[in-house]
Amino acid sequence: MRGIAGRAGRRFVSSLPALFGVLVFTFLLMRVLPGDPAVFFASGPNAGQAEIEDIRRRMGLDKPVPEQLLLYLRDIGTGNLGRSMTTGQPVLNDLRNRLPASLELTFCALLIALVLAVPLGILAALRPGSVVDHGVRLLCTLGVCVPTFVSGLLLIYVLYYLLGIAPDPTGRIDIFASQPPEVTGFLLLDAAIAGEWEAWWAAASQLILPACTMALFVLAPLARMTRASMLAVLTSDFIRTGEALGLSRRRVILVYALRNALLPVITIMGIVFSTMLGANVLVEKVFSWPGVASYALDALLSSDYAPVQGFVLLMASIFVLVNLVVDLLYGLADPRVSIG
Amino acid sequence: MRIRRRDILAGMGAGAAAMAVPGGPALAQSRAETLRQVTGNTVNTLDPTMPGSTREAFGVSVNVYDRLVGFGRRQAGAGWVFDPDVIRGELAERVETSADGTTFTFHLRRDAKFHDGTPVTAEDVKWSFDRHVTARSLAAVQIQTGSWTKAEQFRVVDAHTFEAKVERPDRLALPNLCTLYCMIINSKVAKANATADDPWAQAWLKDNAAGSGAYRVESFKPGEQVILRRNDDWKAGPLPFFRRIINQTIPEAATRANLIERGDADLSIDLQASDVPSLAQRPRVKVVSTPQFNAFTMVAFNTRMAPFDNIKLRQAVAAALPYGDIFKAALFERGAAMFGADWSETPPTARFPQPMPMKTDLARARALMAEAGHPNGLDTTFSFNVGSAATSEPMAALVKESLARIGIRVEIQKLPDAQISTLVTEKKLPFLTETSIAWLPSTDYFFRNFFTGEQRWNYSSWNNAEINALTAKARFEQDAAEYERLCKRMIAVLAEEVPLILLWQPNQDAVMTQAIDGYTYQYHRQVDYRDLRRA
Repeated sequence: MRGIAGRAGRRFVSSLPALFGVLVFTFLLMRVLPGDPAVFFASGPNAGQAEIEDIRRRMGLDKPVPEQLLLYLRDIGTGNLGRSMTTGQPVLNDLRNRLPASLELTFCALLIALVLAVPLGILAALRPGSVVDHGVRLLCTLGVCVPTFVSGLLLIYVLYYLLGIAPDPTGRIDIFASQPPEVTGFLLLDAAIAGEWEAWWAAASQLILPACTMALFVLAPLARMTRASMLAVLTSDFIRTGEALGLSRRRVILVYALRNALLPVITIMGIVFSTMLGANVLVEKVFSWPGVASYALDALLSSDYAPVQGFVLLMASIFVLVNLVVDLLYGLADPRVSIG
Repeated sequence: MRIRRRDILAGMGAGAAAMAVPGGPALAQSRAETLRQVTGNTVNTLDPTMPGSTREAFGVSVNVYDRLVGFGRRQAGAGWVFDPDVIRGELAERVETSADGTTFTFHLRRDAKFHDGTPVTAEDVKWSFDRHVTARSLAAVQIQTGSWTKAEQFRVVDAHTFEAKVERPDRLALPNLCTLYCMIINSKVAKANATADDPWAQAWLKDNAAGSGAYRVESFKPGEQVILRRNDDWKAGPLPFFRRIINQTIPEAATRANLIERGDADLSIDLQASDVPSLAQRPRVKVVSTPQFNAFTMVAFNTRMAPFDNIKLRQAVAAALPYGDIFKAALFERGAAMFGADWSETPPTARFPQPMPMKTDLARARALMAEAGHPNGLDTTFSFNVGSAATSEPMAALVKESLARIGIRVEIQKLPDAQISTLVTEKKLPFLTETSIAWLPSTDYFFRNFFTGEQRWNYSSWNNAEINALTAKARFEQDAAEYERLCKRMIAVLAEEVPLILLWQPNQDAVMTQAIDGYTYQYHRQVDYRDLRRA
């Protein structure tokens, strides 16, 4: 156990330079982009040079860029990510409020995707070239080809607008339902902790459509990767040995083959998770999900530096964290693997 | 595990039962008294004077704060619009204007209370106005257009009497006090939350309200929703119908339309223009369309930069644009046309914006091109912002096509909002389209803000000596006939020099469920919840 903690610590320290690089790069990139936030936020009649200068000073943009960078790094060191001009709130608060929404959605979507993709991948690998295999391939292709905003709008149209089964696609919980007291920020967990099952149901029914939309999109890489690595493993010697020894087919496939085939799937899962978290902006927009990605996009469109920088930093940190978890999961899936 | 059909049916039954639990008579009652507005934008502050406040934030503040005075409303077509010529009391019971038009005496309502229960006094009014003119905010730049610039202009006479003075009788002095920036803040609460760096409590008031308005803020989540609860002690007007208001951010326009069609939401004022005609056909939906008579969409030239510093060239473009086609393709004719008028020399009224005498005449356009010294044509760019792409994109395509006929080769440039505002402020774009709005729709105000000066709003960077002189004079002109003469002259010069071409006033399409009644188009283009009721 101590070994794992030590390894994790070392990994984390070794990722710090990368994080620093991301920080500086985003900072410079935002300043290179055309569009002056001070001008954008100074509106109204007679908003002349004086008002623009004032906003520039307030945003700290009147200083030379290297000095701005140093000030920014100092702020980050003290846990201050600046203030968003678009929402008027400190970026740290905004991210703290919105990250659980994004994480809850992503976790659920990933769970749905895994529950569907792994069995489908196994089925396809067991009978390559069969109808099942082609069916899975078709489903995956469709999932990737249809952009999430199309599938999202389609689901809304059919399930909410035409059939009226789904609740209105507007955020994390029905607007007329009572919110459970906040503990973790994850509504499903909070509602369960408070024992408010009505709220839990309200949150879960809001979550299901966006989660399915996202799951559909990432079904393909997971199912295809499961299929490919299962195919490779199923032709290995130890599988033939197992079958020759008369082990049940189920035991051979689920215990011996699957466990060995999981490594690449876990790798892909890590990547898919990070991508989903940052790239689910379309799903968030379509379902009015108050997540971090749509927050960052809005900020980017109005050249609001602080939220974009905060968002990129957050995503980079999560990426580092996810990689770490993936490495640890390798060890569980295959004890022969050890990451130093 | 095997799943049997019976299990699935049982599961579905349980699900249906769970869905049926909420929605007893009590909830239905409160739903009828709740208004749910869905909007694509967000309310980002409770203090509308904060730089960067969104329009939706303006709408909320109108309902949470009171002003001394406000605009009345009048019936226009099927709906209501605000009436800038009628000024009614809000926190002030009555206003006396001195004979020379420079001193305004406000007699405050004695029964008015802030949300914390303390009475509204002249001290609070004085503190609020000191803040509006002194603090760095949007209020200061707005109300200086009514000659309000320093704290010395405001005086407490006694606890319920307040006096405000301007040096010269400015036509827009009183109308400016009706605007939502001139909200009256609870000074005791604000002072308690002020700091040495922030004497006007600007940081605190962003997230907290200290008003006396018809609604209190129940919850405020920027980017998600604002929930308002009716202030039952409100005395500044008849008690509004709705007890609760939910203003929710739903970025996707199609989703907002769905919500209204299904009756889950009550009102939206920012649906896509192309969806509105089909929505109007639905039995449960009502559309109130009002031309935004204080706004205009235009095509602007940069009059200080080649090639459009050439008046003949601008006239050539004005004669080449296919106005009717653009109106149809870009806006589906959902608005009031501002072209095709028949007058020349002198306009029929002094109102602005009004239809200008612009018509498509390619022969004249070609002749003007030759006169302008560009017989072989020229190259230029036409810019618009991404946010307005739904109307600007078809417009740009038609502009490009029609100008190609007189030899002007147009490259279309679509820019993000922040970028285009920067370029407009730096006056670097030669040719662009924008929609703009003035809160106080008086002709001299329009000309002062859009056709003189160095600010961003002067999109064509026009600097015309006659216009500068006319606007400076009209602002303080007390004689109605003379004012009208000055305004007509300004409009005539605009038609002659074409620094920009007026196209139309887009409709505001307020889409609501059948039962909602009383919707009024306001100067701030947001919803004043106090106007609304459920029939």
